[in-house]
Amino acid sequence: MTSIQPGPESGTNQPLRPARPAPESVQPSWAGALRQELFASRTDGLVSVLLILVILAAALGLLRWALAQAQWAVIQANTSLFAIGRYPIQQQWRLWLLVVLVAGLSGVSWGLLRAFPRADRSGEIWPFNDRLAVVLLGFLAAWLPAALALGLPLQLRWWVITALLVTMRCLAGSWGRSLPSRLVRLVPLSWPLLYLFGMVLIAGGLGIPRVPPSEWGGLLLTLLMASFAILLSFPIGVVVALGRRSSLPLLRWSSVLYIEFIRGAPLITLLFLGQNILGYMLPGGWAPDRVWRAAWVLTLFCGAYLAEAVRAGLTAVPPGQLEAARSLGLSMPLALQRVVLPQALRIALPAAVGQFISLLQDTTLLSLIGLLDLLGTARTVMANPEFLGKNAEVYLTLAVLFWCCCAALGLGSRALERRLDPTHSPV
Amino acid sequence: MPSTQPMIEARGVQKWYPNGFHALRGVDLSVSKGEVVVIMGPSGSGKSTFIRTFNALEEFQEGSISVDGIALSNDLRNIDAIRCDTGMVFQQFNLFPHLTVLENLSLAPVVVRKRRRTEVETQAMALLERVGIAEQASKYPGQLSGGQQQRVAIARSLCMEPRILLFDEPTSALDPEMVGEVLEVMRGLAADGMTMVVVTHEMGFAREVAHRVVLMSEGQIVEEAAPEAFFTNPQHERSRQFLAQIL
Ligand SMILES: Nc1ncnc2c1ncn2[C@@H]1O[C@H](COP(=O)(O)OP(=O)(O)OP(=O)(O)O)[C@@H](O)[C@H]1O
Ligand SMILES: [Mg+2]
Repeated sequence: MTSIQPGPESGTNQPLRPARPAPESVQPSWAGALRQELFASRTDGLVSVLLILVILAAALGLLRWALAQAQWAVIQANTSLFAIGRYPIQQQWRLWLLVVLVAGLSGVSWGLLRAFPRADRSGEIWPFNDRLAVVLLGFLAAWLPAALALGLPLQLRWWVITALLVTMRCLAGSWGRSLPSRLVRLVPLSWPLLYLFGMVLIAGGLGIPRVPPSEWGGLLLTLLMASFAILLSFPIGVVVALGRRSSLPLLRWSSVLYIEFIRGAPLITLLFLGQNILGYMLPGGWAPDRVWRAAWVLTLFCGAYLAEAVRAGLTAVPPGQLEAARSLGLSMPLALQRVVLPQALRIALPAAVGQFISLLQDTTLLSLIGLLDLLGTARTVMANPEFLGKNAEVYLTLAVLFWCCCAALGLGSRALERRLDPTHSPV
Repeated sequence: MPSTQPMIEARGVQKWYPNGFHALRGVDLSVSKGEVVVIMGPSGSGKSTFIRTFNALEEFQEGSISVDGIALSNDLRNIDAIRCDTGMVFQQFNLFPHLTVLENLSLAPVVVRKRRRTEVETQAMALLERVGIAEQASKYPGQLSGGQQQRVAIARSLCMEPRILLFDEPTSALDPEMVGEVLEVMRGLAADGMTMVVVTHEMGFAREVAHRVVLMSEGQIVEEAAPEAFFTNPQHERSRQFLAQIL
């Protein structure tokens, strides 16, 4: 017989107590928790009340301004300028196609992530956060296009795109497990392919007409520059970090030189410098115009900082890991690739994402060298006599846009961290 | 019983660390196929340094070592060949924390020996069964106890089908109650005729399993004897001091 409760009397010859389920954790009531957190003592209460008043006043003021005084016409009239700059109207179908593909693939990847939880964990297909995200997406799709006063056809497109994302999410979540594993393994691979294809769609080539970089702008240019720099700086960072620890003196010195040179100068100087000399440094045709030169400067800049993050990660992996891998017969490249780097990169991830977030914000410097990124577009809009004095509306919109992008990066990285977390590494 | 075919031949091995420290001062040792040799000695006497030269984790400056007939040289192919045939079990386990237990076992056979994953995983499960932790196969190392981790580490070495196993104090990082389970696995291996070189201070294990006990001190071998003789009637003054300390 197994009893859940331990026996009342306990003598020396009593059998050991059997396991019993953990007690229900007692959740304090909402009001109780609130009182505990905010009004524990008299000073606590005073500070809390004051802070609540200040926050409420600020929020109310902002809300009153946003709803009553602000004139959002400046945003509504320039939506397309903010989104894609002066991208030619006849070619915009290419961008729509790209958005559709990204939405579809995002939905599939999202669903598959839930359908294949980590080997040692059981995951829900629809955790609470996912349901919340879907509701939020639905709300955005319904509200945002209308608030931006887009025409009905455009509104319809956004509804369809959102519906596509959510549908793919549901399908991949429910049926992902019954797909052949070959197909599932293709999904992560399809992201870089989609990126390349997206580049072709945006820039032209392979039979579709070219759209020169000088006609890209707004959010499109900002995201393009940031993603280009992030993706390319990653391999650069890894190679330079390894180079810095290499036993070949030339490789080590050039890595150090590169890192110290980049970290010693402010980005804006490098951007101006790049506009002037990058044309001479890179092989012909690699940095043909101002946009690509700026993209390379951003990439090299981010690469140097990333190298330092990766180096910190490499240092944190115990030397025993490399020894164990080597003593199993793995060659140096294999040991790095399969054993050391995965651990080092996981450790470097938070620092790297911080670097990516500040890079995304640093793209605003592009407006200073005359590119029409989000900030550059905003400045041309505000300089337009028709919208004079509408700075607050424009800057607030910009801030919210950047905040959304950075929040997405942060959320993604935290999810990745949780998935890669090896619970705890042996000492 | 061990045969006379030598698996490890070390002759006059001299090693200096980069800071000039003379860690091995002319060490000779030969280990036959199927033999279990236990190396003992005070801390800092060069035991780890010595057995790490067998699979080229440490380089040496003078003397020669050949493992399973292959001479250790600077030729990288030789080193990789020797490492594939020589398993090593570390004091700190050194399991790969980002891989599951099963992946820890199958990594090297798949990427080094280029064997089929499904086939390797079947073998890996059999090995985990043998060391008594098959039910933990899909866990990560951080979720296991020390004794379980060390048994996984042994199974990981075995999965490469080595001809020699090197152990560097495999039980010294374990809580006393977990030492037994690891020694039990090692006993089983010895009974199956595996050639083993074990650095350990477990007297019981040495007495029962070893064919020979070697005592190192200050980078040299000072005594080499059968376990009974070594523990009951040590010849060298150093050995007596050492035994007095650990008894
Ligand atoms: N990388 C190194 N550089 C310089 N000296 C070293 C290095 N590694 C070890 N030594 C020295 O070499 C000697 C032998 O070290 P080794 O680790 O082989 O000893 P050990 O017999 O295994 O000791 P323990 O029982 O403590 O593990 C020690 O005196 C140690 O200080
Ligand atoms: Mg040691």
